[in-house]
Amino acid sequence: MEDEFFGEETFQQYCAKFIKHSQQIGDGWKWRTAKDCSDGYMYKTQFQIKTGTMASHLGTPASAQTCLPTEEALELPLDDSEVPGSTAASEVIKYEYHVLYSCSYQVPVLYFRASFLDGRPLSLKDIWEGVHECYKTRLLQGPWDTITQQEHPILGQPFFVLHPCKTNEFMAAVLKDSQKINRNVNYVTSWLSIVGPVVGLNLPLSYAKAAMQDEQLVD
Amino acid sequence: MSDDKDVLRDVWFGRIPTCFTLYQDEITEREAEPYYLLLPRVSYLTLVTDKVKKHFQKVMRQEDVSEIWFEYEGTPLKWHYPIGLLFDLLASSSTLPWNITVHFKSFPEKDLLHCPSKDAIEAHFMSCMKEADALKHKSQVINEMQKKDHKQLWMGLQNDRFDQFWAINRKLMEYPPEENGFRYIPFRIYQTTTERPFIQKLFRPVAADGQLHTLGDLLREVCPSAITPEDGEKKNQVMIHGIEPMLETPLQWLSEHLSYPDNFLHISVVPQPTD
Repeated sequence: MEDEFFGEETFQQYCAKFIKHSQQIGDGWKWRTAKDCSDGYMYKTQFQIKTGTMASHLGTPASAQTCLPTEEALELPLDDSEVPGSTAASEVIKYEYHVLYSCSYQVPVLYFRASFLDGRPLSLKDIWEGVHECYKTRLLQGPWDTITQQEHPILGQPFFVLHPCKTNEFMAAVLKDSQKINRNVNYVTSWLSIVGPVVGLNLPLSYAKAAMQDEQLVD
Repeated sequence: MSDDKDVLRDVWFGRIPTCFTLYQDEITEREAEPYYLLLPRVSYLTLVTDKVKKHFQKVMRQEDVSEIWFEYEGTPLKWHYPIGLLFDLLASSSTLPWNITVHFKSFPEKDLLHCPSKDAIEAHFMSCMKEADALKHKSQVINEMQKKDHKQLWMGLQNDRFDQFWAINRKLMEYPPEENGFRYIPFRIYQTTTERPFIQKLFRPVAADGQLHTLGDLLREVCPSAITPEDGEKKNQVMIHGIEPMLETPLQWLSEHLSYPDNFLHISVVPQPTD
């Protein structure tokens, strides 16, 4: 059933290219195939320090946070001495991000879950509060339309989801612009670079360069 | 056909007699009597059990009460699945009433979604409806509706108002005259034997030659283990709303008449009971 614009097979191809680059830079993304079927998902585990907002940048005071993190800020310190003196209580949170394909909307969907190191999961309220300031306004307009808890369609466990129904709207602009300059994009890379930061997931810029190189090889 | 309209009513007003019993390890100030209720098949547990909660909270102290959750024979019940689906999938071969255990502590975080408020149920319900319309009409019909129409669908379900609900829902059951049905059929097939919670794939109601696909066609394509082989013994029941529709039934008709209010066909494949 691949007569739609963006099918499951195409999704898997984009993910394969994405993961290839991830392996080159040690970014930790992997693919998992479902046990009973040929579908699957891309996943990554990441640890972050929560000092109030999800995308807290170590070494950057909260007041100086910007929406676009630098690559250096993505690395965790190896010991406490590197963390600047802060009186705010901080905890390490484990994030698991899964990228699945929705055949209903024919777009990728970002699922994630978060827990403290002792296994306590974060609540929906924690997640909403942790959304980066840049995106807070949009979230507050319709929190129930944006991030909610849902059942993972392959694992059957509770995850948080970034709603996919608006994906086509913002991706249309990206695809249109790239068509104008006759360049193919890796849909998954472009999409993830847009939605990921909302929930603390940032992509190094090298993914964009890799996508350009992939396209050049095809030509 | 007026018979078809009757089917819509029969589906909407289906009920399951249920007995709620408090989990024995909950701390109570006096003994908790079981609570009996007729549950609407097409609704959701946390939407229709306010009375159950109040009944048991009367014999408990405030500090011993945390988020309510339900369990059947050790299996936590997913409130975000329609009640009729839960029953068909887990308890259809047992005698009535359906015996559900009520818990107020040790919420199973790894198994169940939280239900912090009625807003969560509404969000989930509307999200399912939107997904169903994405499949049926590329979201055109639901996106053209006004906010008040969406509200009416939810209020109709919440208040058990068949006419209020169907005044709007009928628009979601239409399709262009030149087509013979929806673009794709919204369906999910559930089995307790798989880790995957359900099977959902793209499936058209009409074949390339214009023939209507049947329930049997769907199963053969996406869940062949549910179909009995030619000379084999029937191992499974394929159940929707407590009945086994004939496999020759056109899928388009099933989608228009036997969908749940969220516009999905929630189909259970369960072992054939050995009487």
